[in-house]
Amino acid sequence: MIKGIYYNGKTSEKKDAVLYCKHNGLIGFSDIDVPETPFNSVEISSRIGNTPRYLNFPDGSQFETADNDAIDEIVSTFSSSILQGLIHKLESAKSFVLFTVASVVIFGWLFIQYGIPFISKEIAERLPEEASQYMGQGVLDIMDKQWFSETTLPKEKQAELQQLFDDLKTNIDGSQYLKLVFRSGDSIGANAFALPDGTIVFTDELISLTDNNLDIAAIMLHEIGHIKNRHALRATIQQSSLAIFIVAVTGDVSTSSSIITAIPFMLVKSGFSQGMEIEADSYALNYMQKYNINPIHFANMMEKLEASFSDEFNNCIKESKPQNTRIQCINIAVKQNKAKDKKQSKGLLDYFSTHPGSRERTERFRVPANAGSD
Amino acid sequence: MDNIHTENETNTNNQPFEFTGKALEYFAIWIVNVALTILTLGIYSAWAKVRTNQYFYGNTLLDGAAFRYTARPIQILKGRIIAFILFVLYYFASMANPVVGGIIFLFILLLIPAFVVMSMAFRLRNSMYRNVRFNFDKKFAQAYKVFFIPLLFAGGYLLLASQINHLQTADTETSTMLGITIAVLLLGIILMFPWWEYIVTRFKVVHAKYGDADFSFSATMKNYYGMYIKAYLLSIVIFGVIGALVATLMHTATSDAVSSIVPFLIFILIFPAYLWLFAYFQTKRTNLIFGNLDIAGHKVRSELKTGYMLYLYVTNTLAIVFTLGLLMPWAKIRTARYRISVTSIDVVGDLSQFVTTQEQQQSAMGEEIGEMFDMDLGF
Repeated sequence: MIKGIYYNGKTSEKKDAVLYCKHNGLIGFSDIDVPETPFNSVEISSRIGNTPRYLNFPDGSQFETADNDAIDEIVSTFSSSILQGLIHKLESAKSFVLFTVASVVIFGWLFIQYGIPFISKEIAERLPEEASQYMGQGVLDIMDKQWFSETTLPKEKQAELQQLFDDLKTNIDGSQYLKLVFRSGDSIGANAFALPDGTIVFTDELISLTDNNLDIAAIMLHEIGHIKNRHALRATIQQSSLAIFIVAVTGDVSTSSSIITAIPFMLVKSGFSQGMEIEADSYALNYMQKYNINPIHFANMMEKLEASFSDEFNNCIKESKPQNTRIQCINIAVKQNKAKDKKQSKGLLDYFSTHPGSRERTERFRVPANAGSD
Repeated sequence: MDNIHTENETNTNNQPFEFTGKALEYFAIWIVNVALTILTLGIYSAWAKVRTNQYFYGNTLLDGAAFRYTARPIQILKGRIIAFILFVLYYFASMANPVVGGIIFLFILLLIPAFVVMSMAFRLRNSMYRNVRFNFDKKFAQAYKVFFIPLLFAGGYLLLASQINHLQTADTETSTMLGITIAVLLLGIILMFPWWEYIVTRFKVVHAKYGDADFSFSATMKNYYGMYIKAYLLSIVIFGVIGALVATLMHTATSDAVSSIVPFLIFILIFPAYLWLFAYFQTKRTNLIFGNLDIAGHKVRSELKTGYMLYLYVTNTLAIVFTLGLLMPWAKIRTARYRISVTSIDVVGDLSQFVTTQEQQQSAMGEEIGEMFDMDLGF
């Protein structure tokens, strides 16, 4: 005997009713004059929490009841499907729910940390070369408009570096699309960029930090490493698939506010590029060891690049004494940075910067150099 | 349309809506949804949406009977697949080539009125109360009439604004003309927005039905302009006060220590002001829409308070952020409980004379595409 409300299927009229189910599976009402219906012809809604259950009859009528347990009993007696109510059983088992919470949290972290980068790498490697070329179109134009201006390097210096670049290329398979350009970095300062289409941009500010062309060659190799590993394409795929993943898991874009979607983005984005930096480093290191270029050049140049953003360097340049050339200033700044480094330990903030652990990165280039034949 | 409400039944009683959902119970449903969605690589999300809606509808009671959500997961899955393909295409196209992305965007913009109609039809025809379905008249031509001017302005503005970078190098006369056009479009959008919102909402309401009974809408254009003008004035006052405060601080700041906390101070002041404005709009808009609804003579009342909504938004945001999303179910339940508990209906006689109509299967495409592109299609 199950108490509930009966609707006749024609209007919204409510009638209190008592439903019964016979041993042979015939369902009827003790106080409403309708013929009995066999269990198989009745559509019974699945259980969701303690929300009311509905039994729909072929004539369009409906029975609504809050007595979920009684309905479950009827269903388990007469339904042959073992899947009936499975989801509800999972939802109401406390230990299963706790287990699910733990697995979702762990899985989410693992997937964001390792899954997405792996998938992006696989996809990027399988995409045709044209994908990178296509993506790179117009990137330099935009950068020119936003930041760069014409290079002020003397023609001879440009030709010299171009020759160096071409020499490096001769040992690299499929390197014909790699291109070297120079720009004045202005507000960006000393930096180098690897664009998806194979263009490598060096700023004048970077070139003028050193008088040793092998320092520049080390950075060239690092940038070629970015291009060879298709990092721009991978980063793009990673970022978009992270957005799609979060939308897919939380189910709805509208209720999950943008704050929630922004946080993992921010935390993870820097981690992604760090992994790629290390990959590009490895490429440069391998090349240098194979073709007998002392890896210390890379370590030297990294220290200079880091020091070029320090106050010491900028103040030194501003003083504009004749002896304060960029190279002398950077050498002073590098020394001061090293002294400072010894005092400070690695902080939590490292995780939030795009180029973290630069000391660890340069160490890799120093060990083989010392162990080498010099 | 025949009016159900008969003249001899004049006794009116106010029936409140009730919400009986529980945070812990919904949390279990939600986390299982998330887990199964991951395990099935997103396919289960359609079933998850149905279970979630069934939970919220089923816990919404009026006069001792619950609401019911009847959409089939398979319909939603089909809609989701189409929307997903479109979204991925748009995402990658706009990244690789802004022009192609722009064309796809304009194409989607053109389809918005159709999506709105399809979405309303899907949602309402899958909503049921006392074994009688809600309904929506699919008036596509009228939808395009209602959306024509808003889409023209919004499309024109978005198109020109996206091109402004490309045209910067053009001669000064062209860029001045472009600047003036954008300013005029923007001003037009600001001035006409209340009117648009009014006609779009009215369109959605008057084509909605419960059984064969029509919804009617008694809000006026004046109500909408009133709401916006009040909000504009209040925000000018609030942001003006904040601006003045910050300016005086900056001016009188003597030490570096004081001026260094100014950006922090601006954030501390602006964020609550922004949330307040959001709560104000949500409250007034909901009250305006639901408070002016009438179903065959039964009038709906909605009495949301801005202060309480603000309290809910602040606490929900903090709870969600600090638990990395794990308290989202709790936030959804308490928001639903408050919103539903302040809604009631003045029942004239009783609610037993609504007549069912023939149902047709609806495609979920409009709703799913709208959701993917984050358009708020419902009311």
